[in-house]
Amino acid sequence: MNSVGFWTLVRRELVRSMKVINQVIWPPIITTLLYVFIFGLALGSRIQTVQGVTYAQFLIPGLIMQQVIDSSYGECSSSLFQGRFMNSIQELLVAPMSALEIVGGFVVGSLARAFLIAGLITVLGIVLVHAVPQNWLLFACVIAIVSILFSALGLMFGLMAEKFDHIAILTTFVITPLTFVGGVFTSATMLPPQLRTFELFNPIFYTIDAFRRSYTGESYLPPIYSIAAVVLLAAVALAVVLRMVGTGYKLRV
Amino acid sequence: MSLRVEAGDFFGFLGPNGAGKTTTINAIVGLAQKSAGRIALFGYDNATQWREARGLVGLAPQEFNFDRYLSIRDVLIYAAGYFGLRGPEIAERADMLLERFGLTSKSKVEYTRISGGQKRRLTLARALIHQPKLLILDEPTAGVDVELRLELWEWLKALNAEGLTVFLTTHYLEEAEALCKRIAIIRGGKILTEKPTRELIADGASLQDVFLELMREGQEAGV
Repeated sequence: MNSVGFWTLVRRELVRSMKVINQVIWPPIITTLLYVFIFGLALGSRIQTVQGVTYAQFLIPGLIMQQVIDSSYGECSSSLFQGRFMNSIQELLVAPMSALEIVGGFVVGSLARAFLIAGLITVLGIVLVHAVPQNWLLFACVIAIVSILFSALGLMFGLMAEKFDHIAILTTFVITPLTFVGGVFTSATMLPPQLRTFELFNPIFYTIDAFRRSYTGESYLPPIYSIAAVVLLAAVALAVVLRMVGTGYKLRV
Repeated sequence: MSLRVEAGDFFGFLGPNGAGKTTTINAIVGLAQKSAGRIALFGYDNATQWREARGLVGLAPQEFNFDRYLSIRDVLIYAAGYFGLRGPEIAERADMLLERFGLTSKSKVEYTRISGGQKRRLTLARALIHQPKLLILDEPTAGVDVELRLELWEWLKALNAEGLTVFLTTHYLEEAEALCKRIAIIRGGKILTEKPTRELIADGASLQDVFLELMREGQEAGV
């Protein structure tokens, strides 16, 4: 096990995030602030309560999940694709590092960035709308599992992409729409019954539903089901990406 | 292709464009996957004992592939990290290599801010940071001026004299003639000849004459 190589890659990913801080850390914070002001405070004042909390407080966990998903996917997909594009990925490939160490390095680096962003938004939520997580263990677990899932998906698309444009395909056509309809702004109980059934086919619904429980203590599904679903998806995604890196898919000629 | 490079050798691996030089290098360092055959590095199979094998090799690729987010010094420190090395001795070695290759004054800048010659020197420094036993150089002097080329030659000779095995590909035949103790010339993935440099140019012919003659024969033989 090359643990030094693994932690070097984690550190490198964090250095990268800090070098492009205006691109990857501040935008999600500003976007969240805007959502809180416009949807939470302005429009939300017309809504009584949702799951026992104000609409602005209800919104915070959804917004955190949205940014964790975006950040994790974006970090891994763009870092890996950039490494392929600039050939700097060869530094890892010629080093005595296994697929597990390489994938692990990218994922843990991405996880650290996701926690940083989630932490900043959590502080904003506490300060602005007094939204405080009630179950910190569930809070941390869901962020970790969701970040691992979307980091693995990011690595997959970072490997498959032939140009930068390709890594945006999943975000534009899948992640963003599913996130918006997955419960960031609404509770499943607000939806008509037929749409609630549809939500069960949306993996992002499970992530937001379980995460919101860490704030409100309520969820549409028992959190164990949601967490199990996300863990299963994350395990499959990790297995696939480990296989891709292990066989050198689009990395070794 | 069957090839054996002795430890401590300065081995030239020559051939025209598309002969398979870079592919061979990629297969040695693990950037290319072999469909058949075996490559052993100091006794370690590079497929089954890849960790040990890769740890013994330093690669200076033809194209610059540095991490754009790191400073020149960090390029070396992080490269060592990927090879499982860290600590004050690595920082000292990085500083020593920066000094040796005349890059100390640039240690804090990013690689995009240094010249082509400095990038070429950084490539060499990075390949040496983990103290490999085999240094693989893919066109190490491509695009550098005469002055730096001669400087690089001196460095490479000194490194070889210190016991480092060097595997060199180059299109500059005078470079191979000046540096290599043994040379293999390939075409179409096949070795046309492999001899000590002195034997190859024994009858007063230049390496260029020998190379062109072999290419002509290879073409006639359909290689």
